[in-house]
Amino acid sequence: MTEKTAQQKQIEQRLQNSLKGRRAKERRFVWFGRSAIAVALIFLATLFISIGTKGIPGFFQHYVTLNVSLDAQRLDPLGDMSDQSFFDGEAKKLVYEAIYAELEASGRSKKKAARQILSNGSDVRLVSFVKNNIDKLDTVQPVKLALDDDADSYLRGFISKDTPEKLRRVNDIQIEYIEALQAKGLISYELSDYLFFGSASRNAEMAGIKGAFFGSIYTLFICFIIAFPLGVATAVYLEVFAPKNKVTEIIEININNLAAVPSVVFGILGLAIFINIFGLPRSIPLVGGIVLALMTLPTIIISSRASIRAVPPSIKDGALGVGASEMQATFHHVVPLAIPGMLTGAIIGMAQALGETAPLLMIGMVAFIVDIPNSVTDPGTVLPVQIFMWADFAERMFIQKTSSAIIILLGFLIAMNGIAILIRRKLERRW
Amino acid sequence: MTDPVVRCENVNIYYGEKQAINDISIDILPKQITAFIGPSGCGKSTFLRSLNRMNDTIDGCRMEGRILIDDEDIYAPEVDVVPLRARVGMVFQKPNPFPKSIFDNVAYGPKIHGLAKSSSELQTIVEHALKGSGLWEEVKDRLDQPGTGLSGGQQQRLCIARTIAVQPEIILMDEPCSALDPIATAKIEALMTDLAKDYTIIIVTHSMQQAARVSQKTAFFHLGDLIEYGDTTQMFTNPRESRTQDYITGRFG
Ligand SMILES: Nc1ncnc2c1ncn2[C@@H]1O[C@H](COP(=O)(O)OP(=O)(O)OP(=O)(O)O)[C@@H](O)[C@H]1O
Ligand SMILES: [Mg+2]
Repeated sequence: MTEKTAQQKQIEQRLQNSLKGRRAKERRFVWFGRSAIAVALIFLATLFISIGTKGIPGFFQHYVTLNVSLDAQRLDPLGDMSDQSFFDGEAKKLVYEAIYAELEASGRSKKKAARQILSNGSDVRLVSFVKNNIDKLDTVQPVKLALDDDADSYLRGFISKDTPEKLRRVNDIQIEYIEALQAKGLISYELSDYLFFGSASRNAEMAGIKGAFFGSIYTLFICFIIAFPLGVATAVYLEVFAPKNKVTEIIEININNLAAVPSVVFGILGLAIFINIFGLPRSIPLVGGIVLALMTLPTIIISSRASIRAVPPSIKDGALGVGASEMQATFHHVVPLAIPGMLTGAIIGMAQALGETAPLLMIGMVAFIVDIPNSVTDPGTVLPVQIFMWADFAERMFIQKTSSAIIILLGFLIAMNGIAILIRRKLERRW
Repeated sequence: MTDPVVRCENVNIYYGEKQAINDISIDILPKQITAFIGPSGCGKSTFLRSLNRMNDTIDGCRMEGRILIDDEDIYAPEVDVVPLRARVGMVFQKPNPFPKSIFDNVAYGPKIHGLAKSSSELQTIVEHALKGSGLWEEVKDRLDQPGTGLSGGQQQRLCIARTIAVQPEIILMDEPCSALDPIATAKIEALMTDLAKDYTIIIVTHSMQQAARVSQKTAFFHLGDLIEYGDTTQMFTNPRESRTQDYITGRFG
């Protein structure tokens, strides 16, 4: 068999030719795939860069350190350190006196210019400083106060000296003062405590996400404790116990359709049922959580059913074979094996709920609420709604804080997905 | 002549419209091994599963006729499948231990049926069952290890231990050795012979040698019919039906 017949040679030739075509196709396909991924990565990078460049400066702001005399009599006229006493006191005046002294400002217009460099919330800040440093009463102390957002914007270079004074939000005297403070080394650029610990405020330099953050946590908590058990129970029932007939078929189709319903619709539903019929108050995380639970349910049901179906039937047969009832076989063997998948589905559904704005607008969680919610029945707002509200404001600093809040929201989302992965690993590694 | 434990009278089984078992009547004797043989798709598994009502879990599967175990109709409406399956245990083709520890695998049946009053009693039951399935020596030091970490043959013996832990009367085995190598198969066969002293065993097998080696009675199925049923020795040496002869000698199937 040294000589190949003509036929064998011909077959070999054809094979070679077809091979060339196949290889070329494969190469082209791989290149399509790679360029698709590259495009996706470019978009992702652009997104991160644009949010990052705007948002990271938003994590910082400018502070000025002034020597304030902490006169106990003037700060705390009632002498009992109560909120009422501080309210009656002269914290604001003490702050103003400190800045006038520092800048040697005299005359009405100069004084006005000087005090407008400072944030409106400086008196509150002074009071909280005093509360934390009672031993320092009746001395003169350096106190770090926030700059007003316009002064802050000037320092960041967003406001140019070349613009005519009338069109600027900081006037010439203020610019002179800011530069004087800077020359004395009193101005510092630091991580913004207001962003993390402040709540809603019309003053950009004082606005923070704490209220919205807690609102989100309460809302998600309600959402989870309602949607997860209900979703899992529904999935188990439909997958294991429900008779296979027209009714269950219709229910199934509707659950799948529900997953595609625009979220605003759930908001309208929540408004109509929970607020108008049951008379629950507006703007509270409890109602928000229930509405988001309705929205998340289909996702949880669908993913839970998929993970129940992924459990090998032989396991259930084994349990039935030793005399377990349908219920026992399901809850002792099938559900525990399906739990990691169910939780993953639930957390992904919750992550979706975390980013949801529209249905919460419908139930009034868009209200301007300064107090940080302490329970699920305190009015509050949530992170994406906060972002939505900030994005509406014109101030430069709000634009930055919007991006910062987006970064925090993304961080929250990544953390949730991380938890989902951890839970999965932990539960799956058992065997 | 001993009384049969299982009496099947005119059993018909359907999957939807399709009939899988045609009018089969058969008596199965206690404390013996009965082998079901026949070509693929002839209904052996279907018939076997009807004996502990595992077919109930299949949608559209319907049964006619009567199956009596100890003179009690197991398809009577008042019968609860839970005690029935405790009495008629089942070992499957593919070893299917629970993804739990070896101990929990065996203890599961006794636990759900409340057979043990105390944990020491439960331990005794588990040890007894594992000894009964010949696995004790191999696993006694690692009862807390996952059952899924055992070899295929060990897993199958674990499943047998799981079944005998609830002290059934009858054990159904559907091709228990088809996923195992010859050595593991030999172990299971020896185990079956041993178990037949205490239990009634019905086994489905594709191996003629296995049927000949372990069983006392053999039933030959073909296309949903029971063609021939009799003593194994007689069936393998001198079958009455030519179709049995053809199948045993490997001319079809
Ligand atoms: N779940 C089911 N739904 C519909 N038809 C089925 C189902 N299970 C089995 N059948 C049909 O019933 C007939 C008998 O099947 P069965 O599984 O009992 O055969 P078998 O003798 O065990 O075959 P094998 O030796 O291959 O295991 C076959 O024709 C099969 O197609
Ligand atoms: Mg079979």
